[in-house]
Amino acid sequence: MIRLERVTYAYPDQSPPTLAGFSATIEPGEFVLVVGPSGSGKSTFLRSLNGLVPHFYGGSWAGRAEVFGRDPLELAPRGMADLVGFVFQDPEAQFVVDTVEDELVFAMENFGITQGTMRKRLEEVLDQMAIAHLRSRRIGTLSGGEKQRVAIASVLALQPEVLVLDEPTSQLDPQAAEEVLVALRHLNEDLGLTIVLSEHRLERVLQYADRVLYIPGSGEQALLGDPRTIAAQLPWAPPLVELGKRMGWDPLPLTIKEGRVRVRELAGRRMGPALETGPIAETGPLSPPLIAARNVHYGYGSRPALQGVSLEVRPGEFVALMGRNGSGKSTLLRQMVGLLMPAEGQVTVAGRPTRDTPLGDIIRTVGYVPQDPAALLFNDTVAAELAFTRRGHGLPPAAEADARLLARLGLEDVADRDPRDLSVGQRQRVALASILVADPQVILLDEPTRGLDYEQKRALVALLTELTGEGRAVVMATHDVELVAAGADRVVLLAEGQVVVDGPAREVMSDSQVFASQINKLFRDPRYLVVDDVAVAVEP
Amino acid sequence: MRDEALHPVAWTAWLVAAALPPLTTRNPLYLTLTLLVAGINFSVLGQGNATARGWASLVRFGATLWLLTIPFTMLTNHHGDIVLFTLPESWPVIGGPITLESLLYGLTGGLAIIGLLLIFSAFNLAVDQARLLRMAPAFAYQAGVVTAIAVAFVPQMASSWQDIREAQQVRGHRFHGLRDLLPLIMPLLVTALERAMQLAESMEARGFGGVTVAVSPRDRTITQTMLLAGLAGLGIGLGAIGFLPQQRALGVALTAAGVLLLMIGFWQQGRTVHRTTYRRWVWGRRDRMVLAIGVTSALIWLATWLMRGEWLFYYPYPPYSPWPTFHTVLGFAILMLAIPALLVQQQRQEVGALDPS
Repeated sequence: MIRLERVTYAYPDQSPPTLAGFSATIEPGEFVLVVGPSGSGKSTFLRSLNGLVPHFYGGSWAGRAEVFGRDPLELAPRGMADLVGFVFQDPEAQFVVDTVEDELVFAMENFGITQGTMRKRLEEVLDQMAIAHLRSRRIGTLSGGEKQRVAIASVLALQPEVLVLDEPTSQLDPQAAEEVLVALRHLNEDLGLTIVLSEHRLERVLQYADRVLYIPGSGEQALLGDPRTIAAQLPWAPPLVELGKRMGWDPLPLTIKEGRVRVRELAGRRMGPALETGPIAETGPLSPPLIAARNVHYGYGSRPALQGVSLEVRPGEFVALMGRNGSGKSTLLRQMVGLLMPAEGQVTVAGRPTRDTPLGDIIRTVGYVPQDPAALLFNDTVAAELAFTRRGHGLPPAAEADARLLARLGLEDVADRDPRDLSVGQRQRVALASILVADPQVILLDEPTRGLDYEQKRALVALLTELTGEGRAVVMATHDVELVAAGADRVVLLAEGQVVVDGPAREVMSDSQVFASQINKLFRDPRYLVVDDVAVAVEP
Repeated sequence: MRDEALHPVAWTAWLVAAALPPLTTRNPLYLTLTLLVAGINFSVLGQGNATARGWASLVRFGATLWLLTIPFTMLTNHHGDIVLFTLPESWPVIGGPITLESLLYGLTGGLAIIGLLLIFSAFNLAVDQARLLRMAPAFAYQAGVVTAIAVAFVPQMASSWQDIREAQQVRGHRFHGLRDLLPLIMPLLVTALERAMQLAESMEARGFGGVTVAVSPRDRTITQTMLLAGLAGLGIGLGAIGFLPQQRALGVALTAAGVLLLMIGFWQQGRTVHRTTYRRWVWGRRDRMVLAIGVTSALIWLATWLMRGEWLFYYPYPPYSPWPTFHTVLGFAILMLAIPALLVQQQRQEVGALDPS
């Protein structure tokens, strides 16, 4: 049993405690999902289970913790490692050695387990996580989903009672995330392993959880209860739950299967004509493309990344670039901003081929927000970041315009703060602001939603939609199906460096198994993609 | 690919044996022979190895530097009796006789360095460094893991450097002077630090540091004294070899005693950390042969160096002869180091015959 009693913890140099009077009890064999907005203390709670909080981070701790009869406070992470297996968010950053087999035995070697036992357990975890075929591979050559399964296997080798995972799927594409979640469910159901998992994208995990722990943050009391009860109380929820709440369905559906029963009942009622899928972008076909890629080929060494991609982006379009990890999304974005040049074919920006245009001219039209805001931000204040971009573009300083831009992004209060001290969502917006300040006509975003919660994502979509309304084009590489359903008007699906589908979001997303939104899976009708579509149709 | 590799310890013996000639002699005949042997091993091991190109370019870089230094030596050093041609004395520095001796001197200087580069590259192709580090004895285990992490960090840093450079480029950042380094260095430092923290956290959570065994203060003092005495012996011994050529035997004895003491001390210290290793290397016929070859060659070379130091001596300028001597036994000691390449080739053919794919 895991029991935390009246735990109050504050990180060093932070006045309001992250956890205040926090209590929770988790029974052996439970699958507990931990939810809450960014910065509410989810990670802190998880880290207190194996003593990383407070041992690794310092800070002040009060209260009692007990995990299966052991006290993490007294034993420190080392003493808890064989009881609590901990898997981190970033699959890249948690590996110590460079081949799968060596990585799996690393923890066992530290615990002085005999060679015979090691061999036996190694074979076991290889089978449990279905990674036996990867055993002699180098970690660097694995996909994200494979890496995360190796990370789970490497902590399982010590045969822990509890598996704690801090947003293990947030950096994976939907298929890879599914692989990991299925494996976790198997561990929970067949081996009785206790699993404590935090996750932002509830639509993926809610159905697996026995109970949900909701940590609202900002000093409010945490709630622990069965998924239906908690889901009904969340201020934000996956589209299916959202719809259930609006329609007053009771009990709330948590899976598509449960939802479809309700939909059949609805079928009796007359559904309104809903939104007619009218002309997508009136200005689209008329105006010349801002960016046009024609038959672009590109490869890294002997590995092809793009094989004959053609794509046009016109003013006012919101294009979502989807596809597996490694399907060429990032490479295509880099081609569009002239960071890479096509090996064959050509890319034109505002009519000029990137090959003959200096980068300084391209970036007047195209702004590129990289995946990790940390790659971009380096100044002491947010305002200085904006000023830096202005200088880079040879624009005169304009403090007033900068302030207006920051206000528009909801950043007016943090203009003088250090970007590194801000939350993930704020940092993402600062990165966006430092690109928008140069007033580009096209904005390219690479995976902008990593680590963002529902609220922050909603704000991002609203902002991007507003930008397209001004006649700018947005091209966003993403795995987030619900985000695309809510904002994009065109989806381009890449696979193996080729465009597989390119069409209106409504058509592409309702014609797919993997890339369909929850609401669409429910109705199987291109007219219904997001909750609002249904709401409009049902209300007379 | 790695599964057909020979035992890392066998290759380490080869590395030591092959590195001895370039470290102890400037005789161009032995050096050329060593270069040839290293080249054979390098080309065999490099077949089908993706990292071979990187190492080859390193060797090429070294060779280019070497070729550039030869004319420099010839033009600036005018000693020697065998004059090839003469530049007018009035030209500053480079004026004067250009001699065969200085050509030979320039050639031999670089040969040793190129030889070492090639030997080291071949060794790296043969052995997975990460695994070698993890075979380190208990006392060096932590140092080994730290080094392994550092090695793995380099490619990660390179890729974040690339991301950062691109991110700043599209913000209009141009590189004009040192001040423009800041937008690149700051994010790099921050990401590296964050990554290091995450890794540290992950290692902590997986019980790194192992279970330590309590030691009595007396044992600890003995171990530490042993380590200190060993270090002193090593230092004095090496000093004696370097500065008192007539006392070479004494120096070698002291060095050996120092190394022995250090090893015992470290072994004692390693016993306090309780950990196990997963990998067990199997000594096959070929592994034993490579080990035997390495040890034999190294012993021949060391014995010659200790007892017949003059055999290795070479200095092209007068009063010595520019024509190098050659002893068959030494030539033999170097040539036998080419055999591992043949063994690797043979093993590949056998594996290939078993598995047509």
